[in-house]
Amino acid sequence: MRKFFSSPTAVVGTLLLAIVLFAALFGPLVAPFDPQEFHPVARLQGPSATYWLGTDQFGRDLLSRVLNGAPATVAFGLFATAIGVGIGSVIGVIAGVSGGWVDSTIMRILDGLLAVPDLLFTLLIVTVLGGGMEHALLAVAIAFTPGMARIARSAVLSVRTRDYVRAAVARGESGFYIVTFEVLPNALSPIVVESTIRVSFAIMIGATLGFLGLGAQPPSTEWGLMVAEARQFMFRNPWCVAIPGLSIAMAALGFNLFGDALRDALDPRRSH
Amino acid sequence: MTVSLAPVATDANSSTEKPALVIRNYSLSYRTDNGLVSALKNIDLTIGKGQTVGLVGESGSGKSSMAWSVMRYLPPNAVETGGAIRLAGEEMLDFSPRQMADIRGSRMSMVFQDPSTSLNPTIRIGEQIAEVLMRHRGLTKIEAYAYAEAALARTGITRPKEMLGRYPHEASGGEKQRVVIATAFACEPELIIFDEPTTALDILTARQILDLFNQLREETNVSALYISHDLGLVSRVVDEVSVIHKGVIVESGPVQDVFRRPKADYTRQLIGAVPNPDRWIGVDAPAVPETLVKLDDVGVRYGAPTKLQKLFWPKDSETTGFWGAKGVNIDIRKGELLGVVGESGSGKSTIAKVLAGLQDFEGRLEFAGKTFANRKDIDRAYRRRVQLVFQHPDASLNPRQRIGTIIGRPLKLYGVVPADKVAARVAELLEMVRLPADYAKRYPHQLSGGEKQRVAIARAFAAEPDLVICDEVTAALDVSVQAAVAELLVKLQKDTGTACVFITHDLNLIRQLAHRIAVMHHGKLVDFFDRPDARSDDRDAYTKALLDAVPVPEAAIA
Amino acid sequence: MSWGYLIRRLLAIILVLVIVTFAVFAITAILPGNAAIMILGEYATPDAVAALQKQLHLDQPWYMQYYSWVSGILLHGDFGMSLRLSLPVTQVVGEAFLNSALLAVTALVAVTIIAIPLGALAALKRGTAVDLIIGLFSYLGTALPEFVTATLLLVFLAAPNTGPFPAGGFVAPWEDLGGFASHIVLPAVTLGLILLAHVSRQVRSEMSEVLSSDYVRAARLKGLSERRVIRRHALPNSLAPAVAVISLDIGYLLGGIIVVEEIFAWPGLGRVLMYALENRDLPVIQAVTLLLAGIYAVSNLVSDIVIALLDPRVRYA
Repeated sequence: MRKFFSSPTAVVGTLLLAIVLFAALFGPLVAPFDPQEFHPVARLQGPSATYWLGTDQFGRDLLSRVLNGAPATVAFGLFATAIGVGIGSVIGVIAGVSGGWVDSTIMRILDGLLAVPDLLFTLLIVTVLGGGMEHALLAVAIAFTPGMARIARSAVLSVRTRDYVRAAVARGESGFYIVTFEVLPNALSPIVVESTIRVSFAIMIGATLGFLGLGAQPPSTEWGLMVAEARQFMFRNPWCVAIPGLSIAMAALGFNLFGDALRDALDPRRSH
Repeated sequence: MTVSLAPVATDANSSTEKPALVIRNYSLSYRTDNGLVSALKNIDLTIGKGQTVGLVGESGSGKSSMAWSVMRYLPPNAVETGGAIRLAGEEMLDFSPRQMADIRGSRMSMVFQDPSTSLNPTIRIGEQIAEVLMRHRGLTKIEAYAYAEAALARTGITRPKEMLGRYPHEASGGEKQRVVIATAFACEPELIIFDEPTTALDILTARQILDLFNQLREETNVSALYISHDLGLVSRVVDEVSVIHKGVIVESGPVQDVFRRPKADYTRQLIGAVPNPDRWIGVDAPAVPETLVKLDDVGVRYGAPTKLQKLFWPKDSETTGFWGAKGVNIDIRKGELLGVVGESGSGKSTIAKVLAGLQDFEGRLEFAGKTFANRKDIDRAYRRRVQLVFQHPDASLNPRQRIGTIIGRPLKLYGVVPADKVAARVAELLEMVRLPADYAKRYPHQLSGGEKQRVAIARAFAAEPDLVICDEVTAALDVSVQAAVAELLVKLQKDTGTACVFITHDLNLIRQLAHRIAVMHHGKLVDFFDRPDARSDDRDAYTKALLDAVPVPEAAIA
Repeated sequence: MSWGYLIRRLLAIILVLVIVTFAVFAITAILPGNAAIMILGEYATPDAVAALQKQLHLDQPWYMQYYSWVSGILLHGDFGMSLRLSLPVTQVVGEAFLNSALLAVTALVAVTIIAIPLGALAALKRGTAVDLIIGLFSYLGTALPEFVTATLLLVFLAAPNTGPFPAGGFVAPWEDLGGFASHIVLPAVTLGLILLAHVSRQVRSEMSEVLSSDYVRAARLKGLSERRVIRRHALPNSLAPAVAVISLDIGYLLGGIIVVEEIFAWPGLGRVLMYALENRDLPVIQAVTLLLAGIYAVSNLVSDIVIALLDPRVRYA
């Protein structure tokens, strides 16, 4: 643990993540104003003593809106990733463990799906399902599935040829025992690392969908939507696009840094 | 064989010149998270002109740190805490990085352990030799290539011109090491450091490289520091030897004196651990030979043709893939220790995998009246009675399981003891392999390499098998640990009467342990004999070459 | 690298594209909304709708629709008619493809030229302020979605009347090179930023690995100049992995182009796609998706060939 925090990546990542998670859990409670409350006299203001981060075109407090949007944004990233990782890992583990024609069939299909860019894939699915937060979430999850399946498969494959797995085969262990007790515990760390980093992508794609009008709908305080709504006024008050935009960056950065630090800490080559 | 390996007489004592290398009272530490860790303490070492000095130690002894110190190539966290390192009288600790760059490769060069990683994979061999000559000798490209060709020829490469145009991956291991040696000798340096130059090579290739080393030393009168963990080998190539242990030189002197009359305890321990083929430590041979397992015309083909290929290209299907083993007939007797010897790629590990039921094979495997013609036929009963121990204990123990779980698994799986007795039996097994009982709570990474291998052995014997297959189980271990593991195996054999197939490339070790020895070469069984007949004239030519290639340590002969 | 290898790779690409056609077809086939009604409007007579459905083969089972679509592409290079624009899809997509290619290639070339030296520099100056700044920049770069980067760039560099760059639009380079250049800067920067950050980080880690390799150590211990050690021994060995990373990132670039074109009103594939998605213009959606997947698959093949040229071990394997 002490070694984990000796790298600046880990310290900054953990710090950012703590701020983001705090906002996600308690943001709406600590917000100084009602996020939907209009303050007609204080429209499009910069930061001030009353409105710490300024106000938008209706005079709504940006800090309160960002804090209120945090749960939706973070939950979106976490759930989309969790579903994608869950389904993807199951497929990947099945492919990696079975080998043979099952593996090659699954892999060929994955190759095909992976050739479609993530965002395009997501857009196609959102179009099929129709917009809205839940559908966007499902779309991101589905779009993540092929990539996660491939990572889970390669993690399983790299473990499958290890001597302790071969030892279990030589002992005459059942396939179930080998997968559950020998392969999976050791294949887990690359999956965990990749998932952590993927949360940041999920947050970014979720916000992008919100921005394009295909995700969260007004009057939601989802950050991508906030940027889209404020775009018309961005030259009069840059704060109203900068604040939600940088909030997205901070959340994504937190998960990204934390995932990288986790990778360094779990990589056997780098630990002595 | 003794003749060409005999130490070359040197004129170190008669010369009035300054010694090639003098190290005085040199100490080195590394800054780590746990503070300063000492790597070398008060080192004194002198290499006279034309002299070869051996530096012998086990892993972690500081012998590699010594090489980096001399080359002045230390990591940023190294802290030198005093002393002197002089090259021909010049204090190198005072040299600027620029001066050191001028010296490296010209007055002082190095030969590394693994030629396949020390050559740049994307640069042709010619350029890798020529660049040193262009840098230090100021030769033109054409001159440098001509010189490089000559240098390669001197190292016994048959078609040097062709070799210049090749990439490293197009050359064999031995050829690559010759290239590295040619590069090291290219600028006629005063001092060459050899860092385990034969460890990564096969037995016969290693022998050739050693011969080359002796030949070049005679021709050039270069001074050399020869670093190795292998006492037997060092005793054959050096004039003087220093034994290093935990960063301290515990003993130095002429090689004969050190080996015949070792003064330090550690040296004695090290010499005692070197396998001596004439000192039998194995169990008594079974009185009445009784066959336990029989391999009947067993073959393994890697990349075998698929059904589709057989159907469409029946002619090609005979030649596709390659035989990891072919037509192997071996019988293993109850209670004996059978040695299987060969170089890497000889098929010895393939045979281990067939016996352990990990490899598809052709032919028949007979065991206790049953015949298996296919890997998939092999049943649970066979798997219980034949256990396997792998070469690398790091890889064969699941890093996420405790030692107790690992050793207890066969007990539960085969129902060797009732569930409530498992913990007690694990403790007994740990004691059998001379490990404390509380190790059951530890994870593999908390154990040393030797301890891990003991755990792997305990796991194999937990099943109370009739046969244990040991695939190079000592190869990844230090000399002194190797000896202890070998002795442990013999003791367990004595206690349990289990038969053992011991697969190894170490001929000296196997002649201490085995009742019978099988020799494999290119996937074929070329020789199979009782141990006392090892030196008989009926031996296969390949067996003889292998035996001749392995230096028997000086002390063993004395 | 043999001809056999190339042929096998080409077959693999074809297989990938077949799977993509299936996936795209499956997704578009279940799109809600009757395409014929969408085209004719809500007040169309049932007869007219039925007639159009027949014309579009929408009355046939899905496998017949798939067959006629694929055979149209393979036999006549015909992707069908756009439902909304009443133009052949090839015509709608063709020009947009060219415009997108201009943008993507510009961004990609810029990324390659900047990212590799930047990553190498960070690896060489490992642990110094330079490394820290490059690292910081690259982490920030990967955490900014395109729409945020684009919006911030617009705020600061394209304010009405005062900003140095236009806020959007497109000028063809063969009409006005200067105009083209000023229009492409902001979209290209937006598109390239994430890639730049990602590629430079990968190059840094590859280069660090190479710098700590045995053969670089051996080169230093031959007394070679630091310049030669880096340029001749270290850099060439980290180029092949860099190419691999860039080729994988092309997939990301092709996704990013959709958002960037939308924001900067760049008349490329992305805009066409967004328009087609909004209007359920199936043939266009199918064609664009297939095109993007095909570009990605081909660029991966090209990168494998480049890697083989850079690394002799792969070349002869």
